[in-house]
Amino acid sequence: MNRFQSFKNGLLKENPVFSLFLGICSTLAITTSLNNGVGMGIAVICVLVMSNVIISLIRNITPDEIHIPVYIVVIASLVEIIQMLIEAYAPALNTSLGVFIPLIVVNCIILGRAEAFAANNGPLDSALDGLGMGLGYTLAVCSMSAIREILSTGGITFTNMFNEDQVLFSFQLIPDDFTISMFSSSVGAFLTFAILAAGVAWYKARDAKKAETKEVK
Amino acid sequence: MKKILHLTIFLAVISLIAGGALSYFHNLTAPIIAENDAKQERESLQEMYPDANINDFKKISTKGIDSDTIETVYKYDNYLIFKMSVTGYKDGTVFLVSIDKDTKKIDKYLAISNGDTKGLGSKVMDDDFKNSLEGKDASGKLDTISGATISSSAVTEGINEASGYVDELKGE
Repeated sequence: MNRFQSFKNGLLKENPVFSLFLGICSTLAITTSLNNGVGMGIAVICVLVMSNVIISLIRNITPDEIHIPVYIVVIASLVEIIQMLIEAYAPALNTSLGVFIPLIVVNCIILGRAEAFAANNGPLDSALDGLGMGLGYTLAVCSMSAIREILSTGGITFTNMFNEDQVLFSFQLIPDDFTISMFSSSVGAFLTFAILAAGVAWYKARDAKKAETKEVK
Repeated sequence: MKKILHLTIFLAVISLIAGGALSYFHNLTAPIIAENDAKQERESLQEMYPDANINDFKKISTKGIDSDTIETVYKYDNYLIFKMSVTGYKDGTVFLVSIDKDTKKIDKYLAISNGDTKGLGSKVMDDDFKNSLEGKDASGKLDTISGATISSSAVTEGINEASGYVDELKGE
């Protein structure tokens, strides 16, 4: 139950992006299409789960004085490996995400979870925490990129990541004349982010209020 | 003293393992990445000259060229095809341009990628831009889109530069 709770927390209540406000830089930059969002999400989940497990495994032998450099070496190597794999097997994704794949290294969600969770917990719990947080990040970037892609291009075209010519699904909601191209620029990114973050804050406040009234009763 | 030794060795061992893992994955993926790039380049060349056989494009040595922008040069029929990568406003533009060896006219232009602001610099990817280039003298002044952007002038400057090497590479 407890394990499941910490996994679920990462999704909404402690969503790394909308609630903890971690790793926003990449979130704002890459969420122009759902393809990017899903690709970035998967890359972050892989790095986060593996770095959490490795750091948790070596937590007892890592000297305290140098734990940050050790974490950085682990995380940077994992990111580099993921980048090489993406470049080899999903070149289209590599082109559209560009510099933001190597920048996962400095995504504070990953170092944050290493510090706050993996350094004090077992490998299984750390893997679950990484998965929960990673899914929370993926949920955030996917919802942002879906909103932005629909508003700026009128619909969504989702292609197979490993074969860019294969369109998995595509639909058009808004006629071409009524699309808002502003949403593909950074202004749109900030607006979308603000509205979604406000939504999560409202949900959390409502939840807290409920808990409070329960206690009073 | 013992402490500092312990720390140093620990970090060294971690880095060593990381380095080993990295080189393993590098060896694993490097041939696939190279193959992807080569495939993409072949596809672009074929897109420029759909009638050509892929073996008709001969890569020629660029040893004599001291240029940051010219990546590879191909010979095809009476044309020299330059693969260039120029810096624009942000990420730059990668394109292919084929220049007639004798008349130095631009025969074909093909944009491969551009990392610029959508709508402004990305015009170098559009057909209008392509049409405004093809048939022009590569060494002369190239008037392209009205209200030239940093990217479009980077491309035309690149073409001008490439045309300067045509005579030198003709004999290859």
